[in-house]
Amino acid sequence: MFLTTQLAKGVSLHIRQTAQFKTVNFSVKWRTQLTEKGASERTVLSNVLQHSNARFATSAAYRSYLDDLFGTVLYFDTTKRGEEHTVLMNAETVNDNYLAHDSVLNEVIGLLHDAIFKPNFEHNVFIKAIVEREKEMVIQRIQSIFDDKSRFAQKRIMEILRPNHPASISANGTIDAIKAISPESLTAAYEDMLNQDAIDIYVVGDIDVEQMTAKIKEALPFIDREVKKTERNQEVPENIKGYTKETQEMKQGKLHIGYQTPVVFGDEDFHKMQIFNGIFGGYAHSKIFMNVRERESLAYYASSSYAAQYGLLFVVSGIEPAKEAKAREVIAEQLVALQNGEITDLELAQTKAMLINQLKEALDSARGQIEIFDQYKELKDPFTLEKWSARWQAVTKEDVQQMAQQMKLEATYFLCGKED
Amino acid sequence: MKTIEFKQLDETLYYKQLANGLDVYILPKKGFSKTFVTFTTKYGSIDRTFAPLGETEPITVPDGIAHFLEHKMFEKEDGDVFQKFSEVGAQANAYTSFTRTAYLFSATDHLYKSTETLLNFVQEPYFTEETVNKEKGIIGQEITMYDDTPDWRLYFGAIENMYHQHPVKIDIAGTIESIDGITAEHLYTCYNTFYHPSNMLLFVIGAVDPVEMMTFIEEDQNKKQFPEPTEITRLFDEEPTTVAIKERVLHMDVQKPKVYVGLKAKETSLSGEQMLKHELAVQIGLECLFGRAAQFYTDIYENGLIDESYAYDFSLEKGYGFALIGSDTEKPEQLVQAIKDKLKEATQSNLFTQDDVERIKRKKIGFFLRALNSIEFIANQFTRYEFNDMNLFDVVPALEQLTVADVTEAFKTIQGEDQQTVFTVLPVSERAAQ
Repeated sequence: MFLTTQLAKGVSLHIRQTAQFKTVNFSVKWRTQLTEKGASERTVLSNVLQHSNARFATSAAYRSYLDDLFGTVLYFDTTKRGEEHTVLMNAETVNDNYLAHDSVLNEVIGLLHDAIFKPNFEHNVFIKAIVEREKEMVIQRIQSIFDDKSRFAQKRIMEILRPNHPASISANGTIDAIKAISPESLTAAYEDMLNQDAIDIYVVGDIDVEQMTAKIKEALPFIDREVKKTERNQEVPENIKGYTKETQEMKQGKLHIGYQTPVVFGDEDFHKMQIFNGIFGGYAHSKIFMNVRERESLAYYASSSYAAQYGLLFVVSGIEPAKEAKAREVIAEQLVALQNGEITDLELAQTKAMLINQLKEALDSARGQIEIFDQYKELKDPFTLEKWSARWQAVTKEDVQQMAQQMKLEATYFLCGKED
Repeated sequence: MKTIEFKQLDETLYYKQLANGLDVYILPKKGFSKTFVTFTTKYGSIDRTFAPLGETEPITVPDGIAHFLEHKMFEKEDGDVFQKFSEVGAQANAYTSFTRTAYLFSATDHLYKSTETLLNFVQEPYFTEETVNKEKGIIGQEITMYDDTPDWRLYFGAIENMYHQHPVKIDIAGTIESIDGITAEHLYTCYNTFYHPSNMLLFVIGAVDPVEMMTFIEEDQNKKQFPEPTEITRLFDEEPTTVAIKERVLHMDVQKPKVYVGLKAKETSLSGEQMLKHELAVQIGLECLFGRAAQFYTDIYENGLIDESYAYDFSLEKGYGFALIGSDTEKPEQLVQAIKDKLKEATQSNLFTQDDVERIKRKKIGFFLRALNSIEFIANQFTRYEFNDMNLFDVVPALEQLTVADVTEAFKTIQGEDQQTVFTVLPVSERAAQ
């Protein structure tokens, strides 16, 4: 679906021409090994680059210009995947065809250049006042997780399961590492990112591929770089973490259960694990939803999710604290049922249909096309919808049972109100 | 069947009102593999006092009933409707707002089968005391989840402050106590009153053949029996234009304070083109004063009064409306003062410039064109506009015609001092300190 060309060593451009959308989407992704220090620096860097640049030295001037370009969206963000940290710059602008008298596409491509290559420097480093303010912004973003009890509970179980491991390092970094950032260290991180990272550039829209390739080449003149392969932390901890209960002032209990599986993203059995997760707790027809919510009325939400990059699977549910034991018992029963091969034809068919449908739906947005291609492009076998559908279709009850039998309960975390 | 073309946007909309009164709209989208179908009734949490179908005496039903009804629509004698959608890989969902209840699904295959499932499950109610009581535990946990969500409490706290009477101040899901009183009979009463096809709208968008789909829907509806459509009588108490409570604080287990300044809308009687124009003008006014390109934003950002949660918004429906401006902040009093000062300044001199208004109009046109990539956005918004006699696709022409004078006039309806309220969520630790 994407046409890939190499712009420089370690720098790839992926273009997709389609008339499906009324906008043109750009995405630039910088990737490197995930560490707390690196994530912290690069998150503050994302904020600082989004604040202003040499051409638009104040945030207000920058925002006004974007507004004038028919509300062109341009933002930086950070994410992680497995052992990798990603800085991304996404931009989206209206396709000129839909504007009566205006043309904005060339302006936007020019802006991509300025946003990346023309930072707002003073004496060759980022401006201290902006760096300090944006450090504070990121620190507040990290702290705000505390206010969202589900996210907080998920963060806690990750820390319990995989301390000092990419799985528990936030893509935003840590408060301590952010505090240590100076304009000089941030500038060094910027140069490192620009010149050392693996880079993927995406363009999706109703554009001329040849013209766009030439324009991007000119606007984003990244130099050759030696891309280091990120190292995968294969170690799976042997010890079982057991049970942790913590309290805050709140009413609902947040039950988070972590399991480990030997199957990780890209493995031979990866697609079987996706089916297993769907039947276990991935959908409204799943065993967990049907039993915890529909049969026992214990919860409003109850589901499982498969963190394939780390070989972990989580069950989460919001319950009345007094019914914790019952909820854990019902969840445990569902896994036992799967381990015993209690899987109906209907459950299997529903899960396959849902996975295929979800994938097709995701491909209906430009962002979805970029993210799916980006995720699957590292696999040996190039991604196509047909191939993945066929793989899911071939999964049998025995496969699912086998996946269930490999699951190991590793930790249970319960966040609830203080008993007084 | 009528066709309505929007040339500049390259979209064609198909419309028909069926014999039973149901409005059906179909919008084919090229290049999409999914289809999204919404079936919406003009019935939400604010419709709590009304004359039931065939009666003249109004009744008041327990709070949270529209939402409760939405949950119970999915359960039938032969099991859960989600199962039927999953069988063909369709994703079904539903939501209840202040003014609407929507049932929807998206699918990339077996479109007609899922459309039939949708029409059937929404048009064949099945409630028993047993299933109603079973749902109370589930919705009880949903309510508890929202009770623990500081941003939700902040939002509702601000609305509660603004309204004396209007049921918009009551949480959509009700309370654990109020839903306890709900019976199967209540549900039938509400269903029969508000789920008549003439009070509903069906919207189909995406990979769809409009002629074939319209025929399919019409045949389905012709097979079913419905009573004659009647006018629904909803009752609302008189609502003053001033706020009910000027200021209130709630303590929760949060890291730092959260605050909203609420501005209660005076003009809530408009509909159609006038409403569209008014709503857009107020939004532009808010953005002129409080947007990220405004001097105000630069000041509060540099003074450390806000973080990335800073937001402002304007909501308007028939009978109520409000703007909210706020952020998580270590300095809630200072932020509130800055917002109030800016509002005061706006009453004394005209802060809306030609340049700002034109810039924001361009931004909003761009936002709208971007949003047209999302079939979910179109389906949900189209229905909301239609229920207020507006047309979603009139947004661009309406924006193009707006002037500075329109913005100034519209903004006057939300800027009075007695229309302002403040709601703050403070960390529990600050309760001990006070």
